[in-house]
Amino acid sequence: MSGRTVAADLRRDNFILLAFTPIVLLMPFWLQLIGGYEALATKVVIWMIFALGFDVLLGFTGFLSFGHAAFFGTSAYVTGLMLKHVTAEIVPAMAASFIVILILSAALGYLTLRRSGIYFAILTLAFAQMLHAAALSIFQGWTGGDNGLTMSTRPQLFGIEMLDLNVFYVAAVILVVMFYVAQRIKRSPFGLMLRSIKSNSMRLQYTGVNVQAYKQMAFMISAMYAGLAGSLMVIYEPYVATKFLHWSTSGEVVIMSVIGGVGTLVGPMIGAAFMMFFENVVQAFIGEQWKLVLGLVFVAVVVFLPGGFMEALRRLRNRTTGAPGSPGATAEQPAE
Amino acid sequence: MSNALFLQLLTGLQLGAIYALIALGLSLIFGTLGVVNFAHGALYIMGAYLAVVLTDQIGFIATAIVVPLALFAFGVVLERGLIRRFYDRPHVDQILVTFGLALVIEEIAKWIFGANNIPYDTPPWASGVAFLHEYLPFLEGFVVFPQWRLILIAVSLIVVFGLFALLQFTRFGLVVRAGMREPEMLKFLGVNITQRFGVVFGIGAMIAGIAGVFGGPITQVSPEVGMQLLVPSFLVVVIGGMGSMTGALVAAILLGMALAFTAEIAALQQIIIYLVAVVVLLTRPRGLFGKKGLVE
Repeated sequence: MSGRTVAADLRRDNFILLAFTPIVLLMPFWLQLIGGYEALATKVVIWMIFALGFDVLLGFTGFLSFGHAAFFGTSAYVTGLMLKHVTAEIVPAMAASFIVILILSAALGYLTLRRSGIYFAILTLAFAQMLHAAALSIFQGWTGGDNGLTMSTRPQLFGIEMLDLNVFYVAAVILVVMFYVAQRIKRSPFGLMLRSIKSNSMRLQYTGVNVQAYKQMAFMISAMYAGLAGSLMVIYEPYVATKFLHWSTSGEVVIMSVIGGVGTLVGPMIGAAFMMFFENVVQAFIGEQWKLVLGLVFVAVVVFLPGGFMEALRRLRNRTTGAPGSPGATAEQPAE
Repeated sequence: MSNALFLQLLTGLQLGAIYALIALGLSLIFGTLGVVNFAHGALYIMGAYLAVVLTDQIGFIATAIVVPLALFAFGVVLERGLIRRFYDRPHVDQILVTFGLALVIEEIAKWIFGANNIPYDTPPWASGVAFLHEYLPFLEGFVVFPQWRLILIAVSLIVVFGLFALLQFTRFGLVVRAGMREPEMLKFLGVNITQRFGVVFGIGAMIAGIAGVFGGPITQVSPEVGMQLLVPSFLVVVIGGMGSMTGALVAAILLGMALAFTAEIAALQQIIIYLVAVVVLLTRPRGLFGKKGLVE
C-alpha cells in the first residue's frame, strides 16, 4: 500500500480508538439531539459489533457471507434458552452461546469455505436458511416456532438488572474492546495473511501457506462477533424472533458493511449506525417506504461508490486538502 | 405401480418443474455472463404480479404471452443499464448489485400490492382436477390431480425443450454455448459475445416471468415468495454444477422428488433439500455436472 510506516499506522489506530471511545460511550446523549432515543443507542452498538465482525471476513479476506444470521440467531436462541431455563445471569449464558457458535462456525466453515466467491455466498445463504427452517420445524419445541422465545425474568450481570443504560454500557464496553481487537487483528501478521487471501489466495497457497486454515480462522472470528451481537440482542430485549435467523438479517449486515465501506472497520460501524437511524428515526418521516429508499441508496453505493461512505469521506478530504488522488479503495480490488 | 407412488412422482415432478424454470434462467445467465443473479426471484414475482393484474384485463392466454415478453424487455434493459457495468468488477460486487436490485423490486411490490399474499385465480378452464385413472390404465380406482399442476409440468417441459433447441440448433445458441465454454477463444475469432449478453439476460428474465405466470397460483403471490424460491433454486444450480444446464434440470427433479417423498415427515421435509445439498457437496464439491475450472 502507501509508504506509511508501521509505527504511523499504529499511531493512527490509537488516535481513532481514542476518538471512537467517547463517541460511543456518550451515544445515548448525543443520539437524542439528532432525533433518536436512548434505547436506540443500545441497538446501534449491538449492530456495530455485528458489522465489525462481518468486516473481519468480508473486508479482510473478501469472502461475502450471506448467512451470518445463522450465528446471530443461534447465539440469540442459546442465550435466550439459558436465561430462561438455567440462570438469569448473563455471563454463563454468553459463555454457552460462545461454545455453541464455536462449534457451529467450525462446521459451517468446513462446509462452505471449500469454495470462494459465488459458491461461498450461496452456500452460506443456504445453510443459514436451513437453520431458519429447522427452528420453525424440528426445534420448534425449544424455539417456540413463529411465536418466538419470550423470557419472563430480566437478565442480570452479577445481580445487577440489565435495564436501559446498564445494557447499553455493557454492550458499549464490549464494542470498544472488540474494536480494539479488530484493529490489532488488522495490523497483525495474521491480518496481513487474511488480506493476502483477498488479493491473491492462489499465490499465497503456492508460497506454502495453509490458506484454508486462515480462512477458517477468519470465518470463526467473524462468527464470534455475530454471536456476541446475538447474545447482547437478547439481553437488551428479552425476546428471540425467528427473524434473527432469517436471510434478511444476513442481508442487513451486508448492506451496513457495504454502505459504510468494506475493509475499513470504522465504515461498517458507521453503516450500522446509519441503517439503525434510518430504520428507527427517518422511518417516522417517510413511512413504510424507508426500505425502498434504503435499497436505492444501497444500489447507488454499489454502482457509484464501491468504497462506501468511507470512500466519500476520503474523496472529500482529498479535495479539501488538495492532496493528489490517492489510489485508496481501488488499490484493494482483489485480483480474481 | 401403486397409486400413492405415482402421485408422489407426479408431485415431485411438479415441484421440480418450478425449481427447474427458475434454476435454468439462473444457470443460463451465470454460465454465459458469469453473473449470479440474486434478483432472479424478484423477476419471478414481477411476472406473477403482472399476471395477476393483467388476467382481469386481457384474459389469461394474452397474459401468458404479454408477461414473458415484458420480462424479456425488462431483462434486456437491466443488462444494458446496470449489469453491464459489473462485468469487470469482482464477483462480490455483482452479487451485491443484484441483491440490491432484488430488495428494490421487492419493496416496490410491497408498496403497490401490500406485504400480504394476494389472490391469483387460475382460469376457469384449468381450475378443476384431472381424472388420471381414465387415461392411465395401470392406476387402480380413482386418482385425481389438480389440472393446473399438470399444466405447469407441461409448460416447464416446453420451456426446457425450447431453450435446449435454441441453444443447440440456432446460430445464436452456438455463439452462446461457445461463450460459455471458451469466451477468450471466441473473442479471438472476432465474435462479440458481450453484444449477445443483453438477449441472454432477457431470456433468463423471460423464463422467470413464465415461471411467475404459471407458478404464481401454486406458490402464492407475495413479495417474499421470490426470495423463498431463490434459495432452493440456488441449491439446484449448485447441486447440478454451476453453469451446467443439464445439471440444473437433473438437480431440480432430484430436489422435487426429495420434497415429494418426505411429505409425510414434515420436520424432515423442511430441511431435506439442504441435506441433499450437503451430501452432494461433500462427495462432489463441483456438483453433479460441474466442470473443472469454471468457478473457483
